[in-house]
Amino acid sequence: MRGRVFGRVVAPLILLVAAAFFILPLFAMMRFALQNVQVIDLRWSNLFDKWSLAPLWSAFSDDQFGRALTLSLKLAFGTGLISLLLLVPTIVWVHLRLPRARSTVEFLTILPYVIPAIGMVAGIMVIKPHARWFLNSDLSLIPFYVVLALPFTFRSIDSGLKALDLRTLVEASRSLGYGWIRTIVHVIVPNLRTAILSCLFLTVAVVLGEYTIADVLLKRTFPAFMGEYRGSDPKGGYGLAILSLVVTTLIFMIIGLVSRPKSARRRRARGTI
Amino acid sequence: MTSLEFSSVKKCFGPTVALADFDLTIAPGEFISLLGPSGCGKTTALRIAAGFERADAGTVSLGGHDLSPIPAHKRNMGMVFQSYSLFPNLDVRKNVAFGLKTRRLESSVIVRRVDEMLEIVQLSGLGDRFPHQLSGGQQQRVALARALAVRPEVLLLDEPMSALDARVRSTLRDEIKRIQRDTGVTTLFVTHDQDEALAMSDRVGVMSEGRLEQVGSPHEVYQSPASPFVARFVGSINEIPSEQGTILVRPEALTIHENVHHGKWIGTVVASTFQGPSTLVDVRLDTLDLLVRVHTPTGTYDGVAGSRVSISMAGDHLLAV
Repeated sequence: MRGRVFGRVVAPLILLVAAAFFILPLFAMMRFALQNVQVIDLRWSNLFDKWSLAPLWSAFSDDQFGRALTLSLKLAFGTGLISLLLLVPTIVWVHLRLPRARSTVEFLTILPYVIPAIGMVAGIMVIKPHARWFLNSDLSLIPFYVVLALPFTFRSIDSGLKALDLRTLVEASRSLGYGWIRTIVHVIVPNLRTAILSCLFLTVAVVLGEYTIADVLLKRTFPAFMGEYRGSDPKGGYGLAILSLVVTTLIFMIIGLVSRPKSARRRRARGTI
Repeated sequence: MTSLEFSSVKKCFGPTVALADFDLTIAPGEFISLLGPSGCGKTTALRIAAGFERADAGTVSLGGHDLSPIPAHKRNMGMVFQSYSLFPNLDVRKNVAFGLKTRRLESSVIVRRVDEMLEIVQLSGLGDRFPHQLSGGQQQRVALARALAVRPEVLLLDEPMSALDARVRSTLRDEIKRIQRDTGVTTLFVTHDQDEALAMSDRVGVMSEGRLEQVGSPHEVYQSPASPFVARFVGSINEIPSEQGTILVRPEALTIHENVHHGKWIGTVVASTFQGPSTLVDVRLDTLDLLVRVHTPTGTYDGVAGSRVSISMAGDHLLAV
């Protein structure tokens, strides 16, 4: 009886409160950015008045916008690629050959989450005089972003591998004539599709959200541009923030669709589950 | 057809000795089973042959060539695993074709070979199914087709039926034996199930604590065990004290009599287990205070608990220890 009350009343109520907690500030931000009404005059009565995308168009037309977005996408691509090249073989190796080291590796990967990014910035400042040749390049952010994304990327790949009978699949592949690299490419990667997609998505999310390191190293990434732009045009700046949230949500939904197993998609297409 | 030979192979995992001076020669086309309890080293021997473990000492050779420097993926051995090992992202046809693709065969040859293999394992109509759409028995048959498709020099079977139910096991057992006979591939089969080993093998190697206790035909291993361990592990055994020491006697070598004066030992029936064509009767002997098990053809004696009976030896004992 108590369980039924919880299921019917309490659970939807908690969901509603959580949704309101999440949606209301976003909604307020949206009104501030895209409604051409003075903040002091915002009321429920003028909820549908004077909506406009003009602040966004104005942000898009800024010279720096395209360059910053391109740089961030390049950084996201590079970070995702290097994270995968580094993590997939390492975690496979740890699972198969060093299972006792797994908890240590897991602990190490969580450090970038525990230690604030400013800690890494302090380290970068120490090496900066000796590594200008490297840090001058915009893409020099990639290794730092790989480290920053580790707590998320490691966990997505690790949980993907845990869901497989990795040892048997690897041994089956090797007994059929595939060496280690071909086994990773032909057996492990295709079976880690969901984990790899979420790893890439999380990488994009980290790169599009990282401000501190980019700012210290004077790189004009998308978050750095947004920060600056908000100073000169707050409505356009917050409009961009909302847009980036919408794009991120769309990417997440697309990943969810793509990562569904082929057979489930076919069954759905045939109208059977 | 190729021979596989283990000579003085040793393997330790820390302080645990998995294989100690393991010697075994499998003749070309032979089906040999390694039978033993968990931890006896049988799977280790198979994994060393496959190249997944490295021997601490000794050699494994295939057709006279030492396999030690050859990595697992270049040994040309087919393997079927205990757990379902099909690649979940590939359908049945692609799973079977997997090993052929790395051998640079023409696509028409691959298609023909896949068709042939699916026909052998009687799954021709299921080529476009994915592993999760197959039963356990079907998955293991696909795994067998995939292992055989590459025409391996040796087929390694690592308890492939242990996850299956009794009826499927029995069917698959017959199929594996038939396919092995038809293809003539040298086969090393690892199992802890004595029925499987006795029913399928040309020879059985019984293992204990990393050593081969006996290698012989199923008849030899069952009827002339080389050691008390083999006698106790393969089939049921009664251990009865006598003038010669303790004699080891199979349940079917004892006969039960309702007349208490007819047999050598007198006792009381404790329980009986009906097994279809036969019945196992447990009798507690009076003088020895010992429980013995007697195997009687169904219909000859029903074995009512509490009945007084006598027992005699119908056959010879196996060993005296």
